[in-house]
Amino acid sequence: MKADDRVVLSRFTLEVVTALVTLAAGAVVMGGAVEYAIGWDETGPQPGYFPFRVGLVIALASLGVLAQAFVTHRGTGEAFVSRERLRRVAAFLLPVVGFVFCVVFLGLYVATALYLFAVMLGQGGYRWPFAAVVSLGVTGFFFVLFEWWFKVPLVKGPAEALLGIH
Amino acid sequence: MENISSLMHGFGVALTTYHVALMMAGVLLGILVGVLPGLGAPNGVTLLLPLTFSMEPVSAIILLTSMYWGALFGGSTTSILFNIPGEPSSVATTFDGHPMAKNGQATEALTYAFLSAGTGALVGVAVITALSGWVAQFALKFSPPEYFAVYFLAFASFVGLGGASPFKTVVSIMLGFAFAAVGMDTVSGSLRLTYGLNELIGGISFLVAVIGLFGIGELLLTMEEGLKFDGVRARVSPRKVFETCLDMPRHWVALLRSSAIGVWMGITPGGPTAASFMSYGLARRFSRNRASFGRGEPEGVVSPETADHAAGSSAILPMLALGIPGSATAAVMMGGLMIWGLAPGPMLFVEQKDFVWGLIASMYLGNVVAVVLVLATVPLFAAILRIPFAIIGPVIIVVCAIGAYTVANSTFDLWLMLVFGIVGYVFKKLDYPIAPLVLAMVLGDKAEDAFRQSLIMSRGSLSVFWSNGLVATITALAIVLLLWPAGSALIQRARPQRVRAPEAVV
Repeated sequence: MKADDRVVLSRFTLEVVTALVTLAAGAVVMGGAVEYAIGWDETGPQPGYFPFRVGLVIALASLGVLAQAFVTHRGTGEAFVSRERLRRVAAFLLPVVGFVFCVVFLGLYVATALYLFAVMLGQGGYRWPFAAVVSLGVTGFFFVLFEWWFKVPLVKGPAEALLGIH
Repeated sequence: MENISSLMHGFGVALTTYHVALMMAGVLLGILVGVLPGLGAPNGVTLLLPLTFSMEPVSAIILLTSMYWGALFGGSTTSILFNIPGEPSSVATTFDGHPMAKNGQATEALTYAFLSAGTGALVGVAVITALSGWVAQFALKFSPPEYFAVYFLAFASFVGLGGASPFKTVVSIMLGFAFAAVGMDTVSGSLRLTYGLNELIGGISFLVAVIGLFGIGELLLTMEEGLKFDGVRARVSPRKVFETCLDMPRHWVALLRSSAIGVWMGITPGGPTAASFMSYGLARRFSRNRASFGRGEPEGVVSPETADHAAGSSAILPMLALGIPGSATAAVMMGGLMIWGLAPGPMLFVEQKDFVWGLIASMYLGNVVAVVLVLATVPLFAAILRIPFAIIGPVIIVVCAIGAYTVANSTFDLWLMLVFGIVGYVFKKLDYPIAPLVLAMVLGDKAEDAFRQSLIMSRGSLSVFWSNGLVATITALAIVLLLWPAGSALIQRARPQRVRAPEAVV
């Protein structure tokens, strides 16, 4: 087995973790529901009635998934993700997270140009002039399409304010 | 007969220049999202939805449904040429479609796929035309308990027939209901499950969830598999297309059988993906040349494609007549209906005749338009797939982000989209079904209202769900489906002794 094929996460581990997360989600939903009455009054079920039971069923079904994980996936050695695959997912996901950060602070258009430029340079192996032309071109296309044609204003940041196209 | 005259009226609505232009635009955009990995019919429709808020409902639904047809066709194109299913429902098309393309029969495979898809879709629409008036009449008798029972039936059938672990299906459905409950309670006005976060007062939009779960989640999966486009060059020669057309009637058995499977799976919320796999499986079982399946058997392309599209189009029927969408994409469209201010359900057939019959007529036209356009544009869209992923990947992400932001002009939704994306990735890998989650998010408030109103009617007694023959039948059916996995597990457990015995002898 090559080092790259090593399993970093087994299916069993992730089944258990996911079941615990949904179990916690069920508990959170129940917790949120009891802020309001979860029983009855003369007009019928109170606001918390439905969410409380939804949370309860999530929690119970999560326990079922947990039990199933121990029965069907324990000790099978089945992989959730290998090192090489995890690397590929991370290489895609991390720039996306960076992009969303940039959108929030710099506005969508600046973020788009930066994101596309960075990915083309870092992962596509393009030379920077080509990457710059493509990323600016795509950004310009989106600007014309949404701001002018569809008249849908998107997130703006300091750059747009500077250019006075707010 | 009344349906026929209504349909003719519908053609009058749909056959305007504007609407035909919308159809063509919708189909082309649909093929584009169908071809691109990570963008499928559900999130294609989701991304387009905010742009339709200012349109007439009938124009908007024509645009969205046309996009749906286009996406279904686009998914088949990549399945055949690149062995990459653009849509989950076209996975079964890769089994024989891609081998055919590799054997130098790309044109034949594409033509078979598009023509059988068109046939399946038209059968689906014909069934809608024939049944919708009747179903709506029937549904007009429904009061809140019947509605809640039908919702219950829809979700129980996911548990009973879905094929995934029943516990995982239940988790998925209930998470959807929990997300739907977030924000202002429609009855009491209480702010539920917001934990003091102002961003959550307006609730969690199912549109953001769809973009995350289907869009980002699907892209992460594609990236993990390591994207490799080594496609077969596609040159569509008109003569071969024509010859294949003439050959189509030979497959009438497969067409009929697959249409029936598709229509059934579309009306019950089985969905196009399940329909196409089932149809492929049955085609192989009943075929005389079973050995050639998987190596480029035309019937292996015809069967899943017909069922896929028959299911896709007939999924519109329960959405219109009952307010219960038969697929994830139909769920998104139904959400759109509610945003446009229409109440899906039987009253639509009484109050919005133009809308309903315009839509049904546009489904006939849209599918014909789609077959022609998709055949004409295969080389163009195949070329788009040759754009390196380092460029097209970020562009898809940007489009998803724009779609998520425009739902409510909130950057908080972008973070939600990311979270849903990771959830979608993990859920897909662990075989949690995602469509029920989306359906529950769309139906959550309606189901809760129906439940509350029923219990108000009965002063809190659950016996209201058995109070008459109709509601009792639906409830009973739902409970049977819900307990189906448990029952079959018990039977399996009772059986092993008999099955194991002969093995022990060997």
